[in-house]
Amino acid sequence: MPAHAGAGRVLTGVYWATFALVAAMVAIPVVALVYGSFRTSAPGLPGEWTLRNYAGLASGGVLSSMLTTLVIGLFTSVISIVTGAAIALILHRTDFRYTRIVMPLIGLTFYFPSFILAMAWIIVGAPGGIYNTVVDDMLGMPWLRADIYTAIGIVFVMVLHQVPFVYLTMRGPIIGMDPIYEEAASAAGARPHHVLLRVTLPLLGYSLISSFILTFVMTIEQFAIPALLGIPGQVTVLATQLYLLVRFSPTDYGLAAAIGVALSLITGAAIWAQRRVTTAGRLTTVTGKAGRMRDLPLGRWRWAANLLCFGFVFLGLVMPMVILLYTSVLKWFTVNPLEGIYTLRNYAFIWESGSTMGSFTNTLIVSGAGAAIGVGLGLLCCYFTLRLRPAGHRTLDFLASLPFGVPGVVLGLGLLWAYAYLPVPLYGTLALMVIAFVTRFLPYATETIGGQMVQIDRSLEEAAWVNGATRLQGMSRILLPLVSLSLQGAYFLLFMAFFREISSAILIYSVNTSVISISIWSFFEQANWGLASALAVVATVIIFVAMALILRLAPTARRG
Amino acid sequence: MSIQVEALTKGYGPLTVVHGISFEVARGEFMSLLGPSGCGKSTTLRCIADLEDASSGVIRIDGQTVSAPAQNLVVPVHERQVGMVFQSYAIWPHMTVAANVGFPLAIRKVPARDVARQVDNALEIVGMRHLRQRHPAQLSGGQQQRVALARAIVGRPRVLLFDEPLSNLDAKLRESTRAEIKRLQRELDVATVYVTHDQEEALSMSDRVLVMDGGRIAQAGTPKQLYRRPANRFVADFVGRASFIDVTRRDGAGWTTAGGLALRLDDTDAPTAPRYQAMLRPETIAISAGGGAEAPDDGLNVLRGQVVESHYLGAYTEYMVDVAGARIKVHAAADFDVGAQVTLRVAPEFCRLVAIDDTAQAP
Ligand SMILES: Nc1ncnc2c1ncn2[C@@H]1O[C@H](COP(=O)(O)OP(=O)(O)OP(=O)(O)O)[C@@H](O)[C@H]1O
Ligand SMILES: [Mg+2]
Repeated sequence: MPAHAGAGRVLTGVYWATFALVAAMVAIPVVALVYGSFRTSAPGLPGEWTLRNYAGLASGGVLSSMLTTLVIGLFTSVISIVTGAAIALILHRTDFRYTRIVMPLIGLTFYFPSFILAMAWIIVGAPGGIYNTVVDDMLGMPWLRADIYTAIGIVFVMVLHQVPFVYLTMRGPIIGMDPIYEEAASAAGARPHHVLLRVTLPLLGYSLISSFILTFVMTIEQFAIPALLGIPGQVTVLATQLYLLVRFSPTDYGLAAAIGVALSLITGAAIWAQRRVTTAGRLTTVTGKAGRMRDLPLGRWRWAANLLCFGFVFLGLVMPMVILLYTSVLKWFTVNPLEGIYTLRNYAFIWESGSTMGSFTNTLIVSGAGAAIGVGLGLLCCYFTLRLRPAGHRTLDFLASLPFGVPGVVLGLGLLWAYAYLPVPLYGTLALMVIAFVTRFLPYATETIGGQMVQIDRSLEEAAWVNGATRLQGMSRILLPLVSLSLQGAYFLLFMAFFREISSAILIYSVNTSVISISIWSFFEQANWGLASALAVVATVIIFVAMALILRLAPTARRG
Repeated sequence: MSIQVEALTKGYGPLTVVHGISFEVARGEFMSLLGPSGCGKSTTLRCIADLEDASSGVIRIDGQTVSAPAQNLVVPVHERQVGMVFQSYAIWPHMTVAANVGFPLAIRKVPARDVARQVDNALEIVGMRHLRQRHPAQLSGGQQQRVALARAIVGRPRVLLFDEPLSNLDAKLRESTRAEIKRLQRELDVATVYVTHDQEEALSMSDRVLVMDGGRIAQAGTPKQLYRRPANRFVADFVGRASFIDVTRRDGAGWTTAGGLALRLDDTDAPTAPRYQAMLRPETIAISAGGGAEAPDDGLNVLRGQVVESHYLGAYTEYMVDVAGARIKVHAAADFDVGAQVTLRVAPEFCRLVAIDDTAQAP
């Protein structure tokens, strides 16, 4: 097409620029991490090549935290999948009366940051926390004492955090499932619980396994919850061990890098398995015309359904919020609200403190601008990998999806290694924070945008070309308007993710580039529960308000 | 009586989609529910199976009341002992053919040995026994359809229900499967309700057809009654092809068209209505070339006209003939040019008088 050669050259230029950028963003930290895992010294210092770090993986300490990681991950995933799927079935398959109340509340719980949830549960379940004071001092029943700083405590809080994810991934398959299979079973004489066990659940099998594996991945790369709960109780998982090796002396950056490589291999393998399952599951997909199945009567199990749904929302959202609000207005922490001295000084402090307000500004910059960059990059990746498919598009696709398998702390560590050597003054800047976040969440953007782009028939664009449009015009005039809803959805998703992100920031922030999540974290580490709670309340309110606003403005963002 | 439906009403919120219909299906009788899309056929069928809750009315199966909302009585679907075949077959994709067919027995705790034997029997009947270990994904549409059929009959159901079971098959397969379903139903001697929007299917398979329109019964009768003596214009139009000519009652006896032509019509048992039309089936009309000389009166209606359109359809040609301003469809194997003068002859018994007010009910 000679007439379009100019536009074609522009597009080729954009393609290679995108390719180079994505390759740099993904490859640099990964390569640096692998490099670091073979070095004897800390980043930037002279050292030698070694296999010592990998030998270190076989040491008792690392092996035991690997075992802890897997056991906690497995228990969390099993309990989450059962609870989340049960809630999804109750909400969308039975005559449960409060679906319209519980559904949005679970959506809110999904956006409730994990470290804030963990903080609230520490205030409740620490040895000197609310629960133990109540059962021990007030009720005089010391045998009821419980400690949140244990593996069981970690599993409990992680389940609260993961159930909304399971619910959201299972909701689509459950609603979209053709009810005809269940109707056929009823007509064949099966009672409702037999229909559930013999038809509904087996048909949801692939979705359940896929959701289970993803939950497992998210659990073993989870950093904030095991750090806040596990470090005081000396329950160490791989992610927290890596953090401890970097942040506290004696530091061992090389061993940390080797642990990062090992952790990435585990998550990578799990994600590979999940992809296999979803591809296999596509053969027997159960979505046909999504008719409306008559709701199953809960009957005498109604109380159990109510207890499960409202109990979950209470433990995962309402109670933590109330506890944080309560803690944030106390002058000194006390369990008995009647003894408390109430003050707004924590909120006043946030308003007056330059550094805290600075972290707000930083967060807004990183989230607002970073999400825009992420969406732009995601759109380009999707356009090239799904539409134009020039030479090398498969590599681009692979690179863009790779961060999915790299845990946040590991990515942070990789960047730490990389920017100690690279001759660009990025270390300690907001830009590095943006790079980290965009890299980490690029797969979320490409999934969201690509999901809609594959549904748009190629012929729509081809019709534009036939009618004289260049490829660029075809993209801007036809494709962009058609995918704009998914762009809004992706922006919303990234904004929310960046706003709450802590695991990839914890190793690379500096005093000037602190974001809200880091500030809350620091206050909490300094045992300043009041200030941490006040900041957490403000951040949560911002998240919920932003979510409400965006949902009102862009209904499709609900997909996220 | 095997199925009795009395004043069945079904509504979704303020919207009523089935308006108090009543009918009965005798043991061994094959009855079709025929009607255009959205007229409430499936809804009626699904109320019989209890896949929908009836709003009011009474449903009885084998004399047992299974649904009577007024008395708060509902026998749930899994206790109704119905066999049902769905439009999309609903073969469970995670079970083999044998497991699919055996499900209705296994779920009723029939011993495994008996299950295997009865499954083999049922699969034998539909000619699928050699595929018993296959998975549904490895079956063609027609084979899945047979599995669905075997599954519906294996539990010796009290009634058989079909919801457009053939509409996903190609034309050839549809015809052979029609005959097979019919044969099976005869052997089982069980009351059958068959939902379809294909009039050919309904006419060829049924003992009785119930034509539905907007949630009401437009007419119930044997296929021949429906085709030859439709109760109203809706049924006449929906069942088969036809031309309609406005007619008025002549002073004295007989009928006349707007163009002044006298017609001899079959008007026995015709309901009274504000307006009437004569219905002519295109294949009952003989067509010949030329204006034709005045022939002796042989009791036939003789109409002279001009061919204005012709559509070649292979087995026959459909001609549109203008007769004194009225358009009449004629099917004939002979060739005529557009513009040719032709003579049409049709016996009075094939010129049926139709009432135009659609409120008229079946005689
Ligand atoms: N769940 C529902 N809520 C509201 N209206 C419904 C519902 N299900 C069906 N309807 C309406 O009830 C009417 C009858 O539906 P039904 O499925 O019985 O039609 P049908 O005669 O089987 O049509 P088709 O030939 O297209 O299958 C339709 O107008 C439909 O829109
Ligand atoms: Mg239907």
